[in-house]
Amino acid sequence: MKIKAKLKNGVVKVKALAKHQMSTYNMMEKKTGNREDANFITHISATVNGETVFDASTSQFLSKNPIFKFAFQGIGAKGDKLVMTWVDRKGNTKSGKSKIK
Amino acid sequence: MQRRQFLNLTLGALALAVVPASVQAQDYRKSKPAVWHAHTVDDAMKNLYGTSTFIKSGVKVKAPDVASNGGAIPVDFSADMPIKSIAVLQDANPEAAVCVYEATKYSVNKYSVKIKMAKSGTITIVALGQDGKVYGATKTLDVALGGCEG
Repeated sequence: MKIKAKLKNGVVKVKALAKHQMSTYNMMEKKTGNREDANFITHISATVNGETVFDASTSQFLSKNPIFKFAFQGIGAKGDKLVMTWVDRKGNTKSGKSKIK
Repeated sequence: MQRRQFLNLTLGALALAVVPASVQAQDYRKSKPAVWHAHTVDDAMKNLYGTSTFIKSGVKVKAPDVASNGGAIPVDFSADMPIKSIAVLQDANPEAAVCVYEATKYSVNKYSVKIKMAKSGTITIVALGQDGKVYGATKTLDVALGGCEG
C-alpha cells in the first residue's frame, strides 16, 4: 500500500493506492467459470492516533489497484502516523502506514 | 485478590473506552447487505437511506464526459454540508453500489476514487446530511471501452 499524507493549512490531504486485483463476479465467471472466485476490497479505513478519520465500505466496481483521495482536519500533526487497513472478500487484510508530512 | 480486582476494573474501563471508536465506524456491507445486491440506483438508495429521491444541491460530482478506459474512471465528489455518509452509485454495472463512505468528525468531505463502468451510464452521488435529509448529484458520461468484462 502506498500512502502520501500532507498537512497544509490545517487540513491533511491523503492519497492512497491499495494494490489489489479487484476482480468482479462477471470477470471471474469468464475466467474460471466460478463467480465465487471474485475478490475485491470490501472495507478500508484510516486512523490517526487511534481515531478513525476515513471509513469506506466498497464493492467490486472500484478500479484495479484503486486510488483513494480524502482529507481530514482537527487531528494529526506533522510526523504523526496515518495507518490504513483494508479487508477483502476472502478475508485477507493488509495495512500500511505513512508519516504525515 | 485485590490486585486481580483492580486489573479487572481497569480492563473493563479500557473496554468501555474502546467501544465508542468501534461504534463510530460502520461496515455497510454487514449492516446493510441488501444495498450491495441492488440492481438499480433506486433500489440501492432505498436500501441505504430509505428513499429514492434526493435534494439536488449541496453535493458535487466531477467525472470526465467521455471515459476512454472504463476500468479506471476518476470520480471526484464532495458535500458542502455536514454529512453522516456519502455513497457512489451507478447504473452501468450489474449492481448499483460502488462504495459508501462513513463521514467522521474529522472528515473534510471531499473525496476522489477510481471506479469501473461496463458501459456508458450515470453516476449518482447521494449523501445523508446530519439533518437527516438526502442530498445528491448525478453525472452522465460515455464510456468508450467497458471496464468490467476484463
